[in-house]
Amino acid sequence: MASNHLTGVGSESKQLATWYFTFAAIIFGAQLVFGVVAAIQYVMPGFLFEIVDFSVARMIHINALVVWMVFAMFGAVYWLLPDETGIETVGIKIGKLLFWVFAAAIVVVVLVYLLVQVGPATESTIWLIHEGREYIEAPRWADFGIVVVALGFVFNLFATGMKGKQTGIITVLMADMLAFAGLYLAGMFFTDNISVDQFWWWWVIHLWVEATWEVYVGSLAAYGLITMIGAHRKTVEMWLWIEVAMLFGSGILGLGHHYFWIGTPEYWWEIGALFSALEPLPLVAMFIHVLYDWGKTQGAETEKGNPASVIKNKPAFTWFVLNAFGNFLGAGIWGFFHTLPQVNLYTHGTQFTSAHGHLAFFGAYATILIGMMYLAVQGTNGIKVLKSTKSSLAATWMITGGVMGMGIALTIAGYVQVLVSRAQMGATWAGYFDGQSGMWFSQAMDWRLFMGVITLIGFVFLAKDLLSIGKATHHER
Amino acid sequence: MAKRSVWSDNRFWQRSAAWVTGFASILLIWLTFDTSAQISMGTDADLQNGVTKRVPAPTVINYKITYEMDTTRGHEVPVIGEKEMFFGRDDWSEEEAAELLHLGKLGSQAKNCMNCHTLLGNGAYYAPDLTKAWLDPAWGPEGSLQSMTGKNTKEEAMAEFLQHPSQYPTHARMMPDLGITADEAQGLVAFLKHMSSIDTNGFPRNFGKIKGAVHGK
Amino acid sequence: MLAPINESVMITEIALDDFLPIFISSSLVLVFGAVYAIVFTFVKVGALKPWLMPFGYLGWVLTAYCLYLMGSLMHVGEFTQKALIVTMIGYLFLPHAIYYMVDKVHQENEH
Repeated sequence: MASNHLTGVGSESKQLATWYFTFAAIIFGAQLVFGVVAAIQYVMPGFLFEIVDFSVARMIHINALVVWMVFAMFGAVYWLLPDETGIETVGIKIGKLLFWVFAAAIVVVVLVYLLVQVGPATESTIWLIHEGREYIEAPRWADFGIVVVALGFVFNLFATGMKGKQTGIITVLMADMLAFAGLYLAGMFFTDNISVDQFWWWWVIHLWVEATWEVYVGSLAAYGLITMIGAHRKTVEMWLWIEVAMLFGSGILGLGHHYFWIGTPEYWWEIGALFSALEPLPLVAMFIHVLYDWGKTQGAETEKGNPASVIKNKPAFTWFVLNAFGNFLGAGIWGFFHTLPQVNLYTHGTQFTSAHGHLAFFGAYATILIGMMYLAVQGTNGIKVLKSTKSSLAATWMITGGVMGMGIALTIAGYVQVLVSRAQMGATWAGYFDGQSGMWFSQAMDWRLFMGVITLIGFVFLAKDLLSIGKATHHER
Repeated sequence: MAKRSVWSDNRFWQRSAAWVTGFASILLIWLTFDTSAQISMGTDADLQNGVTKRVPAPTVINYKITYEMDTTRGHEVPVIGEKEMFFGRDDWSEEEAAELLHLGKLGSQAKNCMNCHTLLGNGAYYAPDLTKAWLDPAWGPEGSLQSMTGKNTKEEAMAEFLQHPSQYPTHARMMPDLGITADEAQGLVAFLKHMSSIDTNGFPRNFGKIKGAVHGK
Repeated sequence: MLAPINESVMITEIALDDFLPIFISSSLVLVFGAVYAIVFTFVKVGALKPWLMPFGYLGWVLTAYCLYLMGSLMHVGEFTQKALIVTMIGYLFLPHAIYYMVDKVHQENEH
């Protein structure tokens, strides 16, 4: 093997991974800052009005979210590739070059969002400024850049997987990342027909976050269980295949729950309802899987008279467990309770969606990617057992508590909106503002802002911890 | 070693995963073909012959649109009625209407509508849903929004508002000035009128019927 | 072209007072579902005492009840009704099946 598990010394692939993680963490910070700006605007609408309007702050907030996650996802693959395949990543020079291309493009895109903001109603706006489509606003020129970078990344992954040892985890990742990159193409065209527009837009968004990204997380969790607690590879990989079957089996047609109201035919009600009802099952299964393996491995060690913890990286493992739980909570529970068409008729496009978005993106993706960053810190510093610091704990509590708090506040706001604006007033302009002006709604927005600030402070602790924990002296080296 | 069972065989699960994924994908692709046919835009001839399309032709701007309860389907559907003036004309040709809609759809993206409003219920939640904005009674003849702008028709009132939104605050949360020109505003209003004619399976429910709605107070 | 499904999903309005019970019961569906799966797995692994097993099954019963409550308050149509019933029965067997398989792999690799 080119490098042992958890050791990043001397591996170019792992070095590239740390670049990706670093850039991801910076963008994560930007995401939180602009999220707080948008949250302030709910409470004080005059804040930065016609300077950085809500639309701009929110666009940067959600684009930064997508970008930092994609960066961290790429980074995590470059991190685990040498461990899994036993060789140095093939074409690593291209990978490094593409990193700089990608990072530079993102900086330009964000500066244009911030400084130019809107353009005239012409094709050139779509090509140069932004496309005005939630989550995939990146202008067309950047779309092509992203495709090139993604292809380069997929090439690295495939070439390495085929040359080295192709484990189950690598096989799943290869298929999954190819689909992930390919799906982006569905979001790269303009049409005058908004129903067609949103139909394909959901191909990108849904088949990313509720199918390919979830499978990706399954693979990362499998890798984490093997490296962090020494779980048995064969069990873990068998689980992974079962999860792939369950996630794709429910997630691909679960796309139907976005096709209830956008002009698409009624049969999507049935398809959406059926597969949405199945979608939480793999999330429950993933949660049990983590606990089962942890219990089994620890139990086996204890039997051998070795009662010490089997966990080789405390903060990373904490984030992985939070991932299993958060995925179930945010994507599972918060997704399920507004997914059936009968109730979605009233909840579609309210703060419920926002609550679900916050909890699911955080629970399902942010957690495990933060965990991967801790694994990288451990590897680059050659630490055998990485233990938590006060900052790790502060970051975990504040970020998790903050996002949970935001989710609950937004759920209350969504409930008010459903009752007032939807069920009674029928979603008119006046009905909308009646809902927004209620006391419960505005107090919920105050709490959301407060919890958002807590999350941001938690992020400061996280950044500090990631930069300094490797130097701490209490680890086993 | 215990006897190997098929249930604990990685190859078995690998194949199952591939089959399940493949089957779901093929089903999705098949449904996509069917849906794509059903949501493609209709033609002007469809409108003249009273053929109902889920997404009508751009020339729907020449007609009056209402949102009425369909008892067999159990929810409201957009109904295309008699001719109606739109910016002083009811004879927008297919090309003109298509051009106007194109401008409006481009404008909706260029001005980033979706990061404050929801369109067909998707977008941000900072401002009202625009799916049936054209049908909002507030923009109608006796509506507060129309009278606020001092215009005599719905379309002119909406266009005026879009060009100078911060002159007409309706709430502490205001729409910012996005540099929308008169032409762009006309296109955007056409886009909104067209969107209101899309059959959204009854979303939003009870739109604009505060008094008549089941839960109306 | 696929024929439209005749059943009208949206015929009955959800009563105003029913929204809260719907949101709560649909969340509890998953909470009790998780309780069932977790208690079952932990008792089997030996992390919990065997006499707790009935509480696991109680979790399943409560899941089924909450799902029934949610479905009836939402006035789901016949198709969805059937789908929900099948899901619940399937869910009763799911943890058994998963445990059986995982345990098989462990035995094959450790003994």
